[in-house]
Amino acid sequence: MLFRPAKALAVAIMLLGLPALADETVRISGWGGSEVAIVNGLLTNVLAEKLAKEGITVKYEPVDGDFSQFIINGLSAGTAPDLFYVDVFWARSIFSAGQAAPVTQDVSGFSANLLEAFTYDGKLYAIPKDFNTLAVHFNKDIFDDAGVAYPSDDDTWTTLQEKLVAVHTALPEVDGLCIVPEYARFGAFALSTGWSPFDRQGKTVLDERFRRAFDFYTGLVKSGAAVMAADAGQSWTGGCLASERAAIAIEGAWIISALRDSAPNMNLGTVRMPKDPESGKRGNIVFTVGWAVNAASKVSRAAAKVAALLTTEEAQQWVLEQGLALPSRTGLADNPWLRGGQPEQMTSRVVLEGLSDDHVTPYFFGDVGGSWMQPINAALNSVILGEADADTALASAQSAFDRMLAK
Amino acid sequence: MMARLTAAEAVPSRRRLPASALRRRQLAVSAWLYLTFLAVATILAGTFVLAFMASLKVDPLERPFRLYFDQLNPAAWIAAARLGQEGAGDALWGGFSPGAKVDFSVTYAAPVGTTIVEPNAEIPRRRPGSGIAAALMRDYAADYASIALKSSSSAVMQVRDEETGVWEEWQTRTFVYEITYRTDRRNGPWIERTPLNLTAPPSQTLIDSPISPSRSERRGRLLSWDNITPGALGLIFNNYRRVIKETADLQTGKSLFGSWLVNSLAIAIGRLVLTLVVASLAGYALARLDFRGSRLLFAALLFSMTIPAQVTFVSNYLIFRDLSLLNTPWSVIVVFVASANVLLMKQFFEGFPREIEEAAIVDGANRFQVFLKIVVPNAKPALLVNAILAFQGAWNDFFWPLVLITSPPEALTVQVGLLSLRRSYGGAQGDWGLVLAGAFISIVPVVILFVLFQRHIVSTQVTKGIT
Repeated sequence: MLFRPAKALAVAIMLLGLPALADETVRISGWGGSEVAIVNGLLTNVLAEKLAKEGITVKYEPVDGDFSQFIINGLSAGTAPDLFYVDVFWARSIFSAGQAAPVTQDVSGFSANLLEAFTYDGKLYAIPKDFNTLAVHFNKDIFDDAGVAYPSDDDTWTTLQEKLVAVHTALPEVDGLCIVPEYARFGAFALSTGWSPFDRQGKTVLDERFRRAFDFYTGLVKSGAAVMAADAGQSWTGGCLASERAAIAIEGAWIISALRDSAPNMNLGTVRMPKDPESGKRGNIVFTVGWAVNAASKVSRAAAKVAALLTTEEAQQWVLEQGLALPSRTGLADNPWLRGGQPEQMTSRVVLEGLSDDHVTPYFFGDVGGSWMQPINAALNSVILGEADADTALASAQSAFDRMLAK
Repeated sequence: MMARLTAAEAVPSRRRLPASALRRRQLAVSAWLYLTFLAVATILAGTFVLAFMASLKVDPLERPFRLYFDQLNPAAWIAAARLGQEGAGDALWGGFSPGAKVDFSVTYAAPVGTTIVEPNAEIPRRRPGSGIAAALMRDYAADYASIALKSSSSAVMQVRDEETGVWEEWQTRTFVYEITYRTDRRNGPWIERTPLNLTAPPSQTLIDSPISPSRSERRGRLLSWDNITPGALGLIFNNYRRVIKETADLQTGKSLFGSWLVNSLAIAIGRLVLTLVVASLAGYALARLDFRGSRLLFAALLFSMTIPAQVTFVSNYLIFRDLSLLNTPWSVIVVFVASANVLLMKQFFEGFPREIEEAAIVDGANRFQVFLKIVVPNAKPALLVNAILAFQGAWNDFFWPLVLITSPPEALTVQVGLLSLRRSYGGAQGDWGLVLAGAFISIVPVVILFVLFQRHIVSTQVTKGIT
């Protein structure tokens, strides 16, 4: 058969073509919003040459909508991308199901507490790509107009509350803060008292320290320092800041990209979370996202290579200098860009400093997952709305925790 | 209360009401009925109109909701057309291209005693914060434009004090800015938007500008325009343009919204054809062919109408996965339940005169020929109703496309694509202008269908539908 010239040619082409067949296509996916600019920018501006040299073609598919649902569906149906985002918040369910491949590369350059968040059963399953903590973002113009001193790094809960009440008194159309009844914001206050979500026995105990933070947070509305975000027509604290309805917002560095669209010229200031007046300590929550390789991927080696490239120091420096996200590598913590005076540089610096607050825990809740927050959120909501008093609400939250963690 | 009323009414009912009173009562009842219908129609049409108005706005969520804004103001359209013409020689879609020379005048007013200062004007480097727009934005007007004050003039105006009712004399000042494409960057690109910031003390108020500022920031200190060279259509349909342009595939730069529309159309037509074939064949068989188990089959068909799609979707999903049809339009085309359509066709065929068919059989036609040559050509009204219902159902279907087609982004249907227009920051805020504009584009095919076939939908459903 091989004497036929056409066939011989075809075989020769196939043989010659083999190196080209080694060209692997890696599908990667993450959520949309401001992330699209980060990943696309990295792929086209920073890594294009390196990827070509490795013979890897990357197909990037951002998902706007519910990403965790997308990825869990995809993983169970076998249609998931080769490399995808995992949020520490729900990563555990993917790791425990064996759907992510363990990381084999050297990870010594990454921040240890971020690595810890992605470690399950002693193995690391995702490379942290960036992180966020909470900070107080404020509109300087509102404080100027109200004649109130700006929030500062030395503020305690009480001094911050006094400033917010003063702003609302001077400018009745402006509220101090739009609060949300969510652990994701309130938690930073509770943690600063030294309270911890899980005690040594793995139980959640809503003790007096928790109660103190709870009373402060739920009392913000009554004192005139805050309003419920929903009552101001917003669903997050940043929405009110952008519309100049509120003087401050408690958010992470993600607020920068939201402000670019809705309030590009805001005279923004950022300071660290206020201290607990009794303990004098600060608390914070770390939100982090990592890249995980699909355990069922046919190109897992190439996918791991892409993950490594996307988190190199060079890549993270580019992301940082574009003001897009904070690096998960400790080597970039004293990058000169962070010392600049632009609002986004300042915000990034403060959010980065949040990582070294006194009581910092990652935004994840062991095997219970996100439903752990439900009793606290329900208690916050019912007390702020005046549906229940703190005693009743916390007693029912405590019994919900006892049932949840009884196993 | 009720008892008393009936008792009171019971007395006059013994004798007949005078004809005029009866007539009045009838009139009153019909008037109320008419008003109720009118109110319901107004509410339904009203929400539609308001949603359309909101889809044109810069901020669809603005409170209070304004009914009169630049996008509905012919004077602003003309000004936008002039600005677009000066910016890029395109009065319709505007832009900023080499050779541009744009005159933009703003007038401030202030009470006597306050001096009006020249605002600080700047073409800012405005970078989209999120979404594909942020990834695709390459050229910024800030790098290519220069702005200079061309002239300024003063005048006075009469202002009536709201509280005292006294007329006061206010001074006004008009500043004319000239924005030019920098001559040292002659070969620069065409840029879609030219933003502008004007910073002035809050003591002076902007009273006139060719197009209104997109937003007032910094508690009135800063007025900011997203685009001062929009062109008339670019001003009115800015959100619509963004839907098309900002949903682009990152690799190819092609508009995703366009491919979503094509996908939806292909799926709707595929489902329509399949529905017509299956529904007419099955409907005819159930109506005319007396085969064993036909009653059981019909009962099963009726029963299948009561099962919600959500009950069977896991098993259907797994079947499609094993057939490797996931993420293809075929899965959404074949996953349909035509029992309602079959029922519709069966009822129609049962009402079809048997004698005509028998005449054809006498002439030597077989069953299939009778069906194809006699019955189907006479079943046009029923087929049309079925076709319209099937198309509309497939076009508006959300559940199956959401489950069966998840990636790549260009494979989605338009209804699922709309969901992905909700960009999220911290999981909360959405770009509602895009969502609304996308929703309005997505209803266009169904509206066209309705307008074209409205007569058939109304008449045939009433007269020839399920009897």
